[in-house]
Amino acid sequence: MDIAYKGEHLLPGNLGQFFIVLAFGSALFSFICYFFATQEKVAKSDNSWLRLGRIGYWLNTVSIIGMGTCLFYILYNHYFEYHYAWSYTSRSLPTYYIVSGFWNGQEGGFLLWMFWEAVLGNILIWRAKSWEKPVMTTLALSQAVLGTMVLGLQIGSAHVGSSPFLLLRNSGMQAPIFQNPDYLSFIKDGKGMNPSLQNYWMIIHPPTLFLGSASLVVPFAYAVAGLWKKRYKEWIQPAIPYALFSCMVLGTGVVMGSFWAYESLNFGGFWAWDPVENASIFPWLMLVGALHVMIVYKNTGHSYFTATFLVMISFVLVWYSSFLARSGVLGESSVHAFTDLGLFWQLVIGVLIFLAISVYLLVSRWKELPITKKDEETYSREFWMFVGAVFLGLSCFHLIVVTSIPVWNLMFGTKMAPPTDPVKHYNVIQASFAVVIALLSGFTQFLKYKRTDITRFFITTLIYLAFAALITALVVYATGFYKLHVVFILVMLCSVYSVVANAKILADSFKGKYKLAGSAVAHIGFGLLLVGALISSGTKKVVSENITGEQFSAEFAKDEDPKENLLLYKNEPLRLGDYMVTFTGDTVEGASHFFNIDYKRMKDGKVTESFTLRPNVIQAQGGMSSTPDTKHYLFHDLYTHITMTNLISTQPAAEEAQHGATDDDKNYDAPVAHEVAVGDTIPYRDGVIVLKKLNRSVKLQDIPITDKDIALGAQLEVITHGKTYEAEPVYMIKGNSQLDFGKKLEDAGLKLRFTKVIPDDNKIEITVYQQPESKKKFIVLKAIEFPYINLFWAGTIIMVIGFLLSIFRRNKEFKAI
Amino acid sequence: MKKSAIFGIVVIAVAIAVIISAYSNTSSYGSFTDAQKNNTELHVVGHLNKKKELIYDATKDANYFSFYMLDKDGKECKVVYPGTKPQDFERSEQIVLTGKMKGSEFHASKILMKCPSKYTDEKLNVTEATAQKSASL
Repeated sequence: MDIAYKGEHLLPGNLGQFFIVLAFGSALFSFICYFFATQEKVAKSDNSWLRLGRIGYWLNTVSIIGMGTCLFYILYNHYFEYHYAWSYTSRSLPTYYIVSGFWNGQEGGFLLWMFWEAVLGNILIWRAKSWEKPVMTTLALSQAVLGTMVLGLQIGSAHVGSSPFLLLRNSGMQAPIFQNPDYLSFIKDGKGMNPSLQNYWMIIHPPTLFLGSASLVVPFAYAVAGLWKKRYKEWIQPAIPYALFSCMVLGTGVVMGSFWAYESLNFGGFWAWDPVENASIFPWLMLVGALHVMIVYKNTGHSYFTATFLVMISFVLVWYSSFLARSGVLGESSVHAFTDLGLFWQLVIGVLIFLAISVYLLVSRWKELPITKKDEETYSREFWMFVGAVFLGLSCFHLIVVTSIPVWNLMFGTKMAPPTDPVKHYNVIQASFAVVIALLSGFTQFLKYKRTDITRFFITTLIYLAFAALITALVVYATGFYKLHVVFILVMLCSVYSVVANAKILADSFKGKYKLAGSAVAHIGFGLLLVGALISSGTKKVVSENITGEQFSAEFAKDEDPKENLLLYKNEPLRLGDYMVTFTGDTVEGASHFFNIDYKRMKDGKVTESFTLRPNVIQAQGGMSSTPDTKHYLFHDLYTHITMTNLISTQPAAEEAQHGATDDDKNYDAPVAHEVAVGDTIPYRDGVIVLKKLNRSVKLQDIPITDKDIALGAQLEVITHGKTYEAEPVYMIKGNSQLDFGKKLEDAGLKLRFTKVIPDDNKIEITVYQQPESKKKFIVLKAIEFPYINLFWAGTIIMVIGFLLSIFRRNKEFKAI
Repeated sequence: MKKSAIFGIVVIAVAIAVIISAYSNTSSYGSFTDAQKNNTELHVVGHLNKKKELIYDATKDANYFSFYMLDKDGKECKVVYPGTKPQDFERSEQIVLTGKMKGSEFHASKILMKCPSKYTDEKLNVTEATAQKSASL
């Protein structure tokens, strides 16, 4: 039955779908043309295959840009007839988040990946010269495989790819509403963006990460080209700058992700060993290893196989981590794995295609590979660089084995569960690898290629090791790090050693060996990153411990120490570490609900420092997400987030208001009447109330007061938790009736009524209503202190600078040839 | 023996050590009955018993949350978690707990919950209900 739907905007979707098919078709066409261009024994004079291949790739690039434009147009104009727009955006979403809505879904992620690959392909067409044909064959193949992921074709019962231009009514939701031709007028708004993604880091982190992963295809394509065209020795030189670029960008992308986790999520840190996080560094670890052996091969001719193997495996791992994150296989073990879009087998095929190419080429060319028969010298730089690369590979291997537990279960029908304390497991084992890697990244710098003067080497190594030990001892003592597992202290020693050894190399490079600067800087950065990560996560301290409230059961309190969440009533200061904290109020800005929390550092009863943190809670998609606020110091960060509050309710607001209106007194404890004279004090649970004086000339807004009426105001002063409030409840006799107008003090949780005048004693009666503890406004917060976290970020930035310097150097070398 | 051969053996040894340590560190998925039998930490998959109350009162103890969960065999057990109630806990469709039994209570150190994908349909149904109402008016 065909229904003529009203109000739909089908054009951008149809156009977008056309571009998707065109992108896939042109990539496939380009792949075929480049393949034949590469296979030609003698190049024809007109180079027709090559030209067709280029045209195919350019067409692919244009279609990808077209697709992106259509999708953005749909999101920007809030066309909720499209499933993608409806799922990830809403009208209230600010424009800059519409940009991140673009890659909120998996389809957008693929689009971004294809876009970067298209950009890289065009750079290669421009620059790769004799390598263009074979290298572009691989890129075009990769584009075609990616193209199938967004095709959204239905073939029989199976579907190929998931299109971002899917209409809501075709998305498989069985709702009778779609029988109504005018259904769109009932879909007023989209579901909106997951609140934890509404963060500025989500605008910049995914594009960087995707550029990093997409760029791994370039070294891979060079490795394939080298084996395919039997130009075994030549491919490494031009691939080095691209490999450096990938390491730099992918590393930056991953750390941006950890910065996002640190700033916006409640994992309580920058790295949680979540399977999806782990998956994102598999390719990085492998490629960093690969890069080192590529340099070894370039300089000495050793480690050819290892270099080729690691480059190839690192790209296969890009696909594997994409499979882990997107196939839903991690469902029970990860917080932020995507659910299956029905792409499971397609992703498996993606991994297998590139794995098969790698295995086939390595096996078929095995006998011809330039593998040296001679052993490396023990005291040579190449040998220890090789060892380091292998250990990077092993560390990655460990991550893969543990992260893939759900995959092993699926493959072998086992029922293993991830370690119960994964963080500890990963920390200890990865730290052991880090000991070796950091140590190697230090002393290998003192070795020379081929052969080294042994005595001199040992002397320098030991001097710097002693120096590093001294620094480490100081750092470990000063930060309280010595309480930790011995392996972490060893990592610390080796990281410090790496920093000082490379600092020496950097100093030498200023004296003229400028070529070494890039690697020295990158290694210093890596060492600092490790030091920062170690101190920060090793000595982070939950400052919101030691709850003062009552306990549920003494036994429970005994085993479940320490307590990390702290209850804070509005305007009641509480001690938190060195600070006095007060929850002073809350404001609503858009979808975000901000809480103002005053921090005062006290020393000898004096306030030495005072600031306000404003963590917030966002409500969207029917859920809540808490965003912390952080006070940054040079040497530590103080991080606060709200874990619970009674100010925001997930119940509809109307229902609550109704409750409130029917019987206001229910919100208070039983009233207590006090007879007082002027100057008397009424004590109550949270402070005192003082009757200052009686005001005989009260003016009330709506009630005219004549001479016959009596109106009295009781000027009260409420002192609670160091704050003073004023209130003036009014008592009045009008005609024959007695009236009184109570005053509410929301902030103090009080309601005060002036209920009686007792003329004989010259006293009046004040009735005090106070809110029970549970009705008072409160928040529950968690505050964590992260020491030396800046070393981690600084280390990352220094490492990126090191990579940049190396790229310039290698590029220059390459051009020189 | 050649140096590369020695190094190769070292690498293989490390790889085996990694697999063994990973394997010995894996825990298992089980039911509450399994948890009662052996006093080790394990993962229990199940769903929230929505009929029984969730206990979380920050004013009494901000770090005490308890609820009743049904495991895959349908066995019910009281679960205690030393922290705040996770946001949207009531809406969870499936819960994975990590922890162990203490007496008759299961003490969870970690809660991982899956929120419903069905949610999409529910919301549309709501829109639809309003649609019919406005049509009849």
